[in-house]
Amino acid sequence: MYFAGVDIGSTMTKVVIISDKGDPISIVKGPTGPEHRSLASEVMNVGLTQANLQLNEINYIVATGYGRFNVPFSDRQITELSCHAAGVHNLFPDAKTVIDIGGQDAKCMKIENGKLGDFVMNDKCAAGTGRFLEVIASALGIKVEDLGAISSKSTRDIQISNICTIFAQQEVVSRLSEGESLENILAGLHTALASRVVALAERLSIEPSVVLTGGVAKNTGIVRAMKEKIGHDIRVPEEPLITGALGAALMARRHVLDAIKNNTPVVTSQRRLDKTTLLYGEH
Amino acid sequence: MTWYMGIDIGSAFSKGMIVKDTEPVCFHILRSGINYRTTANLIRQELLSRVNLSQNDISDTVATGSGANNVDFAGRKVSDIICTARGMNSLYPQVRTIIDAAGQSTKLILIDSHGRVTSFVVSEKCAAGSGWFIEVIANVLRVDLNEFSQLSRLSKNPVAFSTSCAVFGESEAISRVAEGIPKEDIAAGVNKTTANKISSLSKKISLEEPCTICGGGALNTGLVQAIELELKIKLLLPPQPQTLSCLGAAVIARTSSS
Repeated sequence: MYFAGVDIGSTMTKVVIISDKGDPISIVKGPTGPEHRSLASEVMNVGLTQANLQLNEINYIVATGYGRFNVPFSDRQITELSCHAAGVHNLFPDAKTVIDIGGQDAKCMKIENGKLGDFVMNDKCAAGTGRFLEVIASALGIKVEDLGAISSKSTRDIQISNICTIFAQQEVVSRLSEGESLENILAGLHTALASRVVALAERLSIEPSVVLTGGVAKNTGIVRAMKEKIGHDIRVPEEPLITGALGAALMARRHVLDAIKNNTPVVTSQRRLDKTTLLYGEH
Repeated sequence: MTWYMGIDIGSAFSKGMIVKDTEPVCFHILRSGINYRTTANLIRQELLSRVNLSQNDISDTVATGSGANNVDFAGRKVSDIICTARGMNSLYPQVRTIIDAAGQSTKLILIDSHGRVTSFVVSEKCAAGSGWFIEVIANVLRVDLNEFSQLSRLSKNPVAFSTSCAVFGESEAISRVAEGIPKEDIAAGVNKTTANKISSLSKKISLEEPCTICGGGALNTGLVQAIELELKIKLLLPPQPQTLSCLGAAVIARTSSS
């Protein structure tokens, strides 16, 4: 048996296919695209090719992420909060707190008995999300993936006093013109983002062990700043982007195994592997 | 005859005014640009040449706004809240509340019959609701502020924005354009979101009528309409809404030297 999870995030689309034992046999990431057009089908096709499978050989498919209603071949939709909790629990069975910093949101989830407990999230303000770094990196003409390495060469702590992404961007430009080094400014930005996310997470209790996921977790400068703010170690999955899709696949597997155990039928939807557009207002 | 000058260096626009005794004589507005010092000097030159005077004819100059420190030729600096209050009071003595919709901040100012500030609230931590946000969306729609304002008034069906964040709002506007939503509905949606933001700020202070609006935001009549609808009040609209603070600065220059 095979199961798949599809996670349509604001920036990236992720697909994970697992075997009946729960082992990943295919992991694919692709950009969601600027016009929010769903590339789910394309990413899924790559995943199927990698796994050497046909769509109808997948027993159950769960879609998650904010574009989950736009996956025409999924059998069920589950929120990314539940999926992240399931995915992280699978990778780190002792994890109690998950902090996910995505392209357009940030969330903190507690894991209780392997399932989602309490959670908080911010998707109303760009400060404290991946977008904060994207906006400023693009204003400075730097690639987002280089931010961590550059900031590691900082020589002193500086404070970015503006919270708002727009105002922080202007502050960064004026700091540069005052002669502050790029390295120090980027380190200051990482601290600013980390403070914002930790302030959100502190609305829950941050219990170890803490796992950081989402695209921003690839930024070593953020991981360092988050460790400093939280005051203890943070673990980052080898591939921090795919915990949601992995969790979705695991939930697909659980659904089918439960159905077999209870002797109830597994109902799959009419799957279509074609392109569609995102249906606004449904998420 | 005695002449006084007021200079307001704001985050987006800089304004200057000369008053003769109690009467405004001329004003000039420029984009603040990156060098506030140069901008301040350009405004001074333009004002002086219009009335055919030299700097020595000006009895006193007061500077205000976030870039007031760059006005080397000013006798002193006064806060823009106080200047706006004084400017508005000299124009409309009956006004009790001022909504100042500026480039990077929004202020609500309560004043008494002498133009003294009795209370105020400022929103300057977040670009949501600021003139900056409206400029960005006007850019997305490829219209200037004037067209933006007119478009917005044509809309019967303003788009609902899911956040008031300026960054997310820009992406949302781009998505709506891509979906083929009419420009007027997007413009009206932005004005509505901005009016909401001002309305929630007004809950921190008790508005007293008559109420007026100034700052660059007041040039956006679609926004003015949206605020009137949201707050359920009538707003008094001054003829040159961007010049209230530099008028106030000039008035203060006159009062303090006489």
